[in-house]
Amino acid sequence: MSRRVVVCMVVVGGVFAASCRSGQSLTNAGIDRAPTPVTASTVPGQTTVPPTTLPRKLDSLPPCDVAALDTAAATAPVEITFWHGLSNELGRELERLTGVYNASQNKVKVTLQFQGGYEETIDKYLQSNTDSRPDMVQMPEYMVQQMIDTKSIVPTQACAESAKYDTSAFLPQALGAYATEGVQWSMPFNMSVPVLYYLKPRFTAAGLDPEVSPRSLEELLATSKQLVSSGASAYSLALDSDFDGGGGWYIEQWLAKSGEFYADNENGRAAPATHVLYDGAGGVKLLTALQSMVTEGGAVYVGDNASGQDTFLKLADATKPAAMTIGTSAALGPVLAIVRGGIIPGVLESEVGVGPMPGPNDGKGALVGGASLYIVDGKGGAKAAASWDYMAFLESASSQSQWAAATGYIPVRNDALTLDPIKSLYVTDPRFKVAYDQLTSSLPGPTSQGPVIGPHKAVRRVTALAVAEVLSGGDVQTALTKAAQAANDLITNYNAQNK
Amino acid sequence: MAIDQVYGARKVGRYLLLTFMAFVVIFPIYMMVVGALKPGNKVLVNPLLPTDFTTGTLTEAWRTGHLGRALWNSAYVSVLITLAQVVTSILAAYAFAFLRFPGKTFVFVAFLATLLVPLEATLTVNRRTMQSLSWINSYKALTIPFLATAFGIFMIRQVFLTIPKEMHEAASMDGLGRLGFLWQVAVPLSRPTIGALTLFSFLTSWNQYLWPTLVTTNQKFNTVQTGLKTLKLAAIDKPNLVIAGTVIVALPIFVVLIAFQRQLIRGLTAGAVKG
Amino acid sequence: MKRKRRDSGLAALMLVPSGVILLLFVVYPLIKAVWLGQQRCGVTKCTNNGFDQYLDAFRSNEFQDALIVTAKYALITVPIGLVLGVALAVLADKYMRGVGIFRTIFSSTVATSVAVASVMWFFLLNPNVGVLSEWIGGIAKTPGLLQDPRSALWAVSASSIWANLGFTFIVVTAGLQGVPKDLYESAYVDGAGGFSRFTNVTLPMISPTLLFATVVLTTRAFQSFGEVDLLTEGGPLGKTTTLTYLAYGSGLPTSNDDGLRATVSVLLFAVLLALALVQFRGLEKRVHYGN
Repeated sequence: MSRRVVVCMVVVGGVFAASCRSGQSLTNAGIDRAPTPVTASTVPGQTTVPPTTLPRKLDSLPPCDVAALDTAAATAPVEITFWHGLSNELGRELERLTGVYNASQNKVKVTLQFQGGYEETIDKYLQSNTDSRPDMVQMPEYMVQQMIDTKSIVPTQACAESAKYDTSAFLPQALGAYATEGVQWSMPFNMSVPVLYYLKPRFTAAGLDPEVSPRSLEELLATSKQLVSSGASAYSLALDSDFDGGGGWYIEQWLAKSGEFYADNENGRAAPATHVLYDGAGGVKLLTALQSMVTEGGAVYVGDNASGQDTFLKLADATKPAAMTIGTSAALGPVLAIVRGGIIPGVLESEVGVGPMPGPNDGKGALVGGASLYIVDGKGGAKAAASWDYMAFLESASSQSQWAAATGYIPVRNDALTLDPIKSLYVTDPRFKVAYDQLTSSLPGPTSQGPVIGPHKAVRRVTALAVAEVLSGGDVQTALTKAAQAANDLITNYNAQNK
Repeated sequence: MAIDQVYGARKVGRYLLLTFMAFVVIFPIYMMVVGALKPGNKVLVNPLLPTDFTTGTLTEAWRTGHLGRALWNSAYVSVLITLAQVVTSILAAYAFAFLRFPGKTFVFVAFLATLLVPLEATLTVNRRTMQSLSWINSYKALTIPFLATAFGIFMIRQVFLTIPKEMHEAASMDGLGRLGFLWQVAVPLSRPTIGALTLFSFLTSWNQYLWPTLVTTNQKFNTVQTGLKTLKLAAIDKPNLVIAGTVIVALPIFVVLIAFQRQLIRGLTAGAVKG
Repeated sequence: MKRKRRDSGLAALMLVPSGVILLLFVVYPLIKAVWLGQQRCGVTKCTNNGFDQYLDAFRSNEFQDALIVTAKYALITVPIGLVLGVALAVLADKYMRGVGIFRTIFSSTVATSVAVASVMWFFLLNPNVGVLSEWIGGIAKTPGLLQDPRSALWAVSASSIWANLGFTFIVVTAGLQGVPKDLYESAYVDGAGGFSRFTNVTLPMISPTLLFATVVLTTRAFQSFGEVDLLTEGGPLGKTTTLTYLAYGSGLPTSNDDGLRATVSVLLFAVLLALALVQFRGLEKRVHYGN
């Protein structure tokens, strides 16, 4: 055995590579592990460790004293750097808002550092030490546990308490997404949820009411069949297996809609998660329903959606188009702009319909996607206080109203809706409000706060492979069992390395 | 010389072929220049023709990409690395070519062996070193690991070896001295090779891509290569802006290479010389 | 005797600057990387795992996939690049009026850095902007050539072949100029035709140059990072994740684990070393160094 391996190492070349392949993932390299005794279960409310509230975890974390800003700013403005991953119009709007903030006061001067995108921001942050880290950083929603484990952040709750900050106007879903073990780690900033996009003219042609979008998975299947059998559309629904879309994120959404946990320990929020639960009955039922969209409902699977546009472009396909797809609500602005350019013959901008993402519980409810803002520890009290001051500006009702209107993100607080420009936008174009309504109609209870898992992104990636297999006709239970095993390995490795 | 000449129909055919290939090779460059000279919203209109001529896109790219700063950084870093590499190479090559000392062969082979190590194998540890020295986001991180190169030492040693030993002996006897010999005799005699090394070093450090992305997080320390990456990621919705940035970044190096064509050819072919 | 001691002192002095740099930034990191490569790193600390981590990593799906991608990439870019470079050099080698202009044009891509070339090709191949993908793929082909798993590696290769063409052209042209004219003349007298002169005289005479170009191009292919980073970020479906990109790219198992990064980069070093051996062993026999 070992000799064969040695031969493999010596005879290097693509042709021979196959004989060396172990079938294992690189993430398991070097790790000797006893098989994890895991019994999948999707019983809601299941916890391995009972949530504890006393003593307060917050008291053992880095403190924040907002008064430090006034002291420090008495001599000179406190300069802070903020790393973010927002490009194009999003980045420009953030620059504009930051410019407004910098000009509005003389205590804090914020310098934005665009790191190239979320992935790059994550990599650079995790590779850095206190010295080279910024004072404030934006991280996507799946980074919560990993950020906690870096032990490098000041929980925003510490600053909020110090400032006696009123959070009553915030959407509970928005804050809840970034709170675990009783601590508010970061503040939500740009929020989005998946919604259904559909083309009204094709609904009309199929004899469907273009103003009513399907809500449940059963309705989605019926609508799909109608669209295809009537000849109104070659395909009904365009599906993908992007880890940040149909392959990973949406699965979490569907489980939440049906009131189920995705991972143990209350989705990892009562204590760090140890394994995923989606290979149980609930997950199988869901993926089976999804598969039947393709096998019976005339849905089309477009692949891993690497470009992020493949599902939308399928709606514009010249020869065999689809009539519906599921996509992030943050894409609404760009999608409308492209449709306005005439990319889909016979469909006007006003004829793009938006409905809640169909699923269990009549499609109600959603998990927060997007990103949140973290304050970095070890930079001194003044910097933390200055970061909080800037953060409070970005979180204000007026900033959120402008931000949401310019980008299509969901405002993180209710009172933003009473202010223009978002107030008028929600009236003149209710499509922008669909995501907000969907999010605020979430089921009460812990299942409506998404999973928090150390290697969350990697878990999504292996889950996405299972979704790809299922959508290509593979066996649902086999695919999910395999994915869950890989995901559990990832979690076990991660937990061992970050004890 | 008869067979070197090409006549008649074959000549026409050859010219046609050359012209065609020249068009193919130059096409991407042409497209970039045309794109860079179009206004913001017109990049899709007549992409092949320079209609709606404007320099506004170039100036906007210069501003939003902070390309002036990036060009300065690249020039500063490359010049520093090049100077240091040339000097350290000359010194080491002198020791290997003219001096006698114990273990010379071993030391030389050890130096040479570092050529076998690809940059990629060392970058992770080097980045960690930079981190522990707090050199992330500094010119130190961008230059210091590259101040010497075994390639340069080898190249200059080869040409030093062609200088008769007797000249060295004579020089150290008469008042010139060893260092005098090095700077006043050996270096001038090796000027073409040193020129080639200079250009080669400059080009290599100017084109560095992976290392700068690893040790910088502050756009103030962007080189043109990482600056271009940042610009592409930040403004992919404005293709012509990024295209204009590309043109700005490519231009200086075009000028340098046209000016130093001979050194470039020598530098690039140095390894092909039978040795 | 006295003389020798002075030599040693001076030699040490002159070797110290480069010696220190090479020791600190090439030798030390290599040794350290071999050690680091048997560790796995979490967000705050690294733990030893034993050297079987190298075997595991080598045999992992990701590494094997990347090895195949890299081998394919080299097998596409090196032969095509070499043939194009030789063809252009031979075409432009004849004594003809205006050949200098063509030489300048063919050499010109050497002035484009990998970032410049890749961004150029990114837009050329982009279905929303580039004309090239329209010509090749029909009207605004979706997914674009860079997004389609079947064509992505070829699209990246096209960019890289173009970017390396200047280098190959310059090197081969220099090689051609070293071929003694009388060899052609005697072949001409012997009645050899153009093609036969090329295969019997030109090719053997420039074979050292070709070996050199092959080695450089292959090494570049195995070390390609910038073009992948800027054109595809390793996608779609990992179809363009080369070995170097696997070690240093974003969003990969290695991205936040310096231990695994070191594992992969040391393995890359081993692969390159093996490759260099194979190339020199296999090709040197056929190379004619002339006399």
